[in-house]
Amino acid sequence: MKRQIPLIIVIGLGFLFAAHTFIPHKISNDFYEWWQTWSKAISPFAVMLGVMSLFMVHTTKISRRVPNWQYSAITLIALVFTSFSGFMWGTQEGTPFMWLFKNVQMPMGATMFSLLAFHIASAAYKAFRARSAEATVLLIAATIVMLGQVPLGAQISKWIPEASKWILNVPNLAAKRAIALGVGLGMTATSLKILLGIERTYLGGGD
Amino acid sequence: MKKNFFDLMQSLDRRWIYLMVALAIVMPLIIPFNSKTYVTEPTENVYKKIDSFSGRKDRAILMCFSHDASTMAELFPMEVAILRHCFEKKVQVLTICFMPQAKPLMDYAINTAKEDYNVQSGVDYLSFGYKPWSLFLPILLGMGDDIGKAVETDDQGRKVENLPIMKEISNYNEMNLVIDFAASAAVYSWIIYARARFGANVAAGITAVMAADNYPYLQSGQLVGMLSGLKGAAEYEKLVDVFATHRDEYGNPDPREFSKEVIKSTWIKLSDIENRKYKTARIGMNAQTVAHVMIIIFIILGNIGYFVSRKKKKAS
Repeated sequence: MKRQIPLIIVIGLGFLFAAHTFIPHKISNDFYEWWQTWSKAISPFAVMLGVMSLFMVHTTKISRRVPNWQYSAITLIALVFTSFSGFMWGTQEGTPFMWLFKNVQMPMGATMFSLLAFHIASAAYKAFRARSAEATVLLIAATIVMLGQVPLGAQISKWIPEASKWILNVPNLAAKRAIALGVGLGMTATSLKILLGIERTYLGGGD
Repeated sequence: MKKNFFDLMQSLDRRWIYLMVALAIVMPLIIPFNSKTYVTEPTENVYKKIDSFSGRKDRAILMCFSHDASTMAELFPMEVAILRHCFEKKVQVLTICFMPQAKPLMDYAINTAKEDYNVQSGVDYLSFGYKPWSLFLPILLGMGDDIGKAVETDDQGRKVENLPIMKEISNYNEMNLVIDFAASAAVYSWIIYARARFGANVAAGITAVMAADNYPYLQSGQLVGMLSGLKGAAEYEKLVDVFATHRDEYGNPDPREFSKEVIKSTWIKLSDIENRKYKTARIGMNAQTVAHVMIIIFIILGNIGYFVSRKKKKAS
């Protein structure tokens, strides 16, 4: 029963929502609106579950003194402090929450992402070699696109932005579309398998 | 064996590379220089679409903030530029986010852009605020029928349907442009549901690394336009300067109609723009230019060193 009931819910609702897309009848629309109210009521529980799970994972790490447990303590302190400041004084401009966002989260986030520039430069220098014909094509394409993305490219030659545009619009587009078609077909097949009860791994368990 | 220049370059400590990249990025930010911004078609299309709504009470755009502070350097300038365009040309703006990290960014962008304009929340713009991710699909689909029912309240807890800005806006027929700002594939959901099912126009403001993924949607017309990374933001800043905030010879507001010839012939000196927040992307493009050139030089040097070493190995 533990597996059959969720399976029946998924199959039943899955087919109903698929049918709703093609049947603009009042009953179908009423059902759809009823479901929207339900989903709104369910969503706060998902957030609550997430916060509870975060607390449980990190309090366990702290109590067991696992390696680097100090980071878990910082996570929990940050969670409590940020939530407290948001609940107490709001999240608008001039509040402690916004101060935290501008002076802690913004620079930390930007720092993490900007590290990419250093790694890319280092990787380009150390590993981007014209070892084969394919690697050479990739190298030339990358150089043209990089130059095409900055004003200097057009100042060197008007053909650089045009060549960059062609690379993005033709070979890149063809490859991306092929991948998208493959992913789309895969998603359709997986969805059908879930709807027909063939794919059951989302229920958990080994069998 | 005595090492030559190329051998030394091959074994260069990566910390020297990091230092050079840091200098290449920081110096142009400290000492900005003028470089010509070339406007691409996907950016032009977003500008033209938004501009076509100017002064209309029965049209609005929706800006969906789907990113956090880590990608702010690329996406924030485009958000501010679009908001500035909307405030300047009286285009009604609605904003929403489904990530808690995006809410402060959304407020920050609105506050940054509205400083110089006499605009009012609920009248000229409206923030629907943060909605949990689990409500993404119900809201996205619900807005196709009735925005007031789908969103219910704004970020101040006011009933959306009672606000003046929503008087003539009920669904995607009026809120006919959705721009998703993301460092991910978030825009696809708008394409799949809002575009395919309700015919909404969808555009993307996206980080440069994600831009290549969106070209198939641009070609098929599922995306009406795209702002790609810092370059897209710089292009939009320029378009706003050239057309939306254009002044006549006496300094009075004199917005111009969009024209490719005007873009080509207009040269804007960064030093002429007093407010740094309106040229952030263009200053950033200087740093990006130097960084790209540096990476290309690194690639060339690395490859020369590789071929010289290979030749030496073969000879010995």
